[in-house]
Amino acid sequence: MSELDKKEGLDRRSFLRGVGLSAGAAGAGAAVMSGSKSAEAAVDGAGKKAAGYQETELVRQAYELSRF
Amino acid sequence: MSAALESDSDVSALAEEDVLRARFYGLMARLLASAPDGDALEVLRSLQGDDTEMGVALGALASAASAHDPESAEDEYNALFIGVTRGDLVPYGSFYLTGFLNEKPLAALRATMMKLEIERGDATSNPEDHIASVCEMMAGLINASFGPAEAGTPESLRLQKTFFAQHIAPWAGRFFADLEGAEKASLYRPLGTVGRLFVAIEEEAFRMVE
Repeated sequence: MSELDKKEGLDRRSFLRGVGLSAGAAGAGAAVMSGSKSAEAAVDGAGKKAAGYQETELVRQAYELSRF
Repeated sequence: MSAALESDSDVSALAEEDVLRARFYGLMARLLASAPDGDALEVLRSLQGDDTEMGVALGALASAASAHDPESAEDEYNALFIGVTRGDLVPYGSFYLTGFLNEKPLAALRATMMKLEIERGDATSNPEDHIASVCEMMAGLINASFGPAEAGTPESLRLQKTFFAQHIAPWAGRFFADLEGAEKASLYRPLGTVGRLFVAIEEEAFRMVE
């Protein structure tokens, strides 16, 4: 890590430490965040149940290619 | 629950502030993807405030959670975001930036997702530029669940800064302010405050990163 990175890092860290994030998110917050690791899962809900099938880019391409 | 704990132990390189940031993004993702169930409400009720602006907002969120149950939370969520054809709020980047869904902001996000190798979780047809989705992506970037950088490195921080600048900063603050002021918001009103403050904090913190 460069000296500049270090200094900026320290300023940023002390700023973040002072704004009150730890007030709520430490400990208790972890449980609320349970759920999937995949980035899209959060949107899947929106009031509906997520489909069991997972459409990755590869699968989608396979489907496209298999169309005659 | 185990997924969150797992990712915490995976990222031993992360400073406490970054762990907290990831949790904040996770909290917002969870509550904006769907209404909180009984367990999530219980967790919200246990949030501790302090006398910072953010702490006060978190305390208000805890109080609001005490006044709700899963049914009323679901009713409120549906009124705010689902409606009949649409909710009072349309929490998509494209909508906030262009007035329409499925616009250039979504295309830009998809390009970023491809570059970072972020995949869709399932076959839903919902556009990816939903606020819950981009919040979860930010949490993933902080934890280095995807992307080329290692967790806790300056490179990771620069990736986060770029993602934030392109996909969150242009509109998320306005969305949270709208949520804060939404007529039908009760449980979600303090979440709007928390989100608005958090976006401002992130903006300020990223200004300290080159």
